[in-house]
Amino acid sequence: MRAIRLRTAPRGTVRVVDPHPLNWLYLTYNTVEEPVRVTRGGKIRPAAMRRFRWVDRQTLELHFRPERFADGTALDARSFQRAVTEQLRWQAPHPPGTQFNLDRRSRVEVVDDRTARLHLPEVDGLVLGKLRATHIMTERFWRDLGFGYAQGRPGEGHW
Amino acid sequence: MIDAPGPWASGAFVLVEGRSVVHTERVATDGEDCTWLQTEDRSPTVRLRANPHYWDRRRGPRLAEVEFRNDLSPAEALDLVCDGVGEVDLVTEVPATAARRVQRSRHAKLVTVAAVRVLAGVIDREADGLPLHDRRARRALNLALDRAALVREAFDGHAAPLHGLTPPTPLTALHRFPGRLRGYPYDRATARRLWASAGGAARPLRLAAFEGWAAAAQVVAAQLRESLDLVVEVSVLDHEQQYEARRRLAERSSGGWDVLLLDHGSQSADVPPVELHRAFVGRSGEFRAGPVDARFEQLFARLRAQTSQLRQVLAANRIDRHVTREASALFLVAPRSLYAVNRHVRFLPYATSLELADTSVRRRHWSRRRRSRRPVEDDSGRTTA
Repeated sequence: MRAIRLRTAPRGTVRVVDPHPLNWLYLTYNTVEEPVRVTRGGKIRPAAMRRFRWVDRQTLELHFRPERFADGTALDARSFQRAVTEQLRWQAPHPPGTQFNLDRRSRVEVVDDRTARLHLPEVDGLVLGKLRATHIMTERFWRDLGFGYAQGRPGEGHW
Repeated sequence: MIDAPGPWASGAFVLVEGRSVVHTERVATDGEDCTWLQTEDRSPTVRLRANPHYWDRRRGPRLAEVEFRNDLSPAEALDLVCDGVGEVDLVTEVPATAARRVQRSRHAKLVTVAAVRVLAGVIDREADGLPLHDRRARRALNLALDRAALVREAFDGHAAPLHGLTPPTPLTALHRFPGRLRGYPYDRATARRLWASAGGAARPLRLAAFEGWAAAAQVVAAQLRESLDLVVEVSVLDHEQQYEARRRLAERSSGGWDVLLLDHGSQSADVPPVELHRAFVGRSGEFRAGPVDARFEQLFARLRAQTSQLRQVLAANRIDRHVTREASALFLVAPRSLYAVNRHVRFLPYATSLELADTSVRRRHWSRRRRSRRPVEDDSGRTTA
């Protein structure tokens, strides 16, 4: 059996001054997970999902690990489905621009608690990078806050 | 973006106080494609706390708390991290001109990373009175630059010369390798010949730069003057002017400049053209200043059609070669990201973002020595509260 190296408990505080104009995004990356994240060197790798595979050229299958949100509720394949569904409500949800858009004809099929399939209407090899902008949130977030729109504002340019 | 604190997700930290958001204004770039102009809105303090449920225990979080201070200017923050202890532990976006000061500091160290970003010039290919529509003229501009001198004089060595629009980081080596065109050498004789054969200039060249790149703009202007015997007028855009320049660029209207120096980054190193080449050259690119490049669109469509990583690298390489051959921008440098960091903080920089999950503090860090007061050590070494 592989030994698991346990880290020590979180310790200490750092005070940061970050004048970068993408600070709003960095806060998101530090508090939210997406199916993928980016390593220190800049490489895309699985994050909230454990692994993925192309079933065919228009179907990406994602496997999620047993995981919990910070509020203790479960993160599973339905959480990903909800994130994609919420994102596809908007024409241009991402502040950098529409280059991160998933095709609005895409749909997510939940295979089981741990497996989802993203069906694309046409081949999009850039979709893994776009999943970096698919923020997976709690049900309470979608109900109480949303990316602005649970409080009556549009989600355009606010993801 | 997250508008309010709450346990909303599963990241390494939880937002427990404050906000850092942007207000956005839509600008259409091509049909339904758009970009958003952004205005920042931050609370004076933003606080993150470690998420006890975070699954990746090997990664972190190693810090109990992160406090973003938005009540300090970058200059004040640099003073505090270099000259004292406890007020500021980490300052991002340190200008190259301040790097030596950080290195000499008793309290701070300089941490750098080869970031996936470029400093390049947008070339207005429809400028009146200059032959910038002509590839020979754009090549001449690129051949007229001594990038090694630019790195030395404007970046104190903290940048790498840029050839094409793929920044040279370890992870982009493959993107740049196979069949790669050589970058533009410093070749004044060929530059002059090409510039003259394209028709030369009927008026001064207007070089504008985003704030922060003023020193680089001055060096570039001097090199263009000397290499091409060209009159170059330099202007540096302040915050409001930059916002307006971004708008006009995205709207494809003239901005009163011929070459605009700006920096742009990518959120990953896997496929740089998605954010870099597309922004400067693509049909929907927010920095495209000229006609649509049909060949580029064809190459980009081929990139999009690849689901294999290797094929994506090859397709990205073809795009970079095309952009280089066409001299679609003024290729300058890839600036390193510089951080001033308290000596007792173990900070691991990311090439594309600011992430703190794997940052930790040593036993001698102020936050582990004292709990209730915020200690301040002045430059003479005395500690006060």
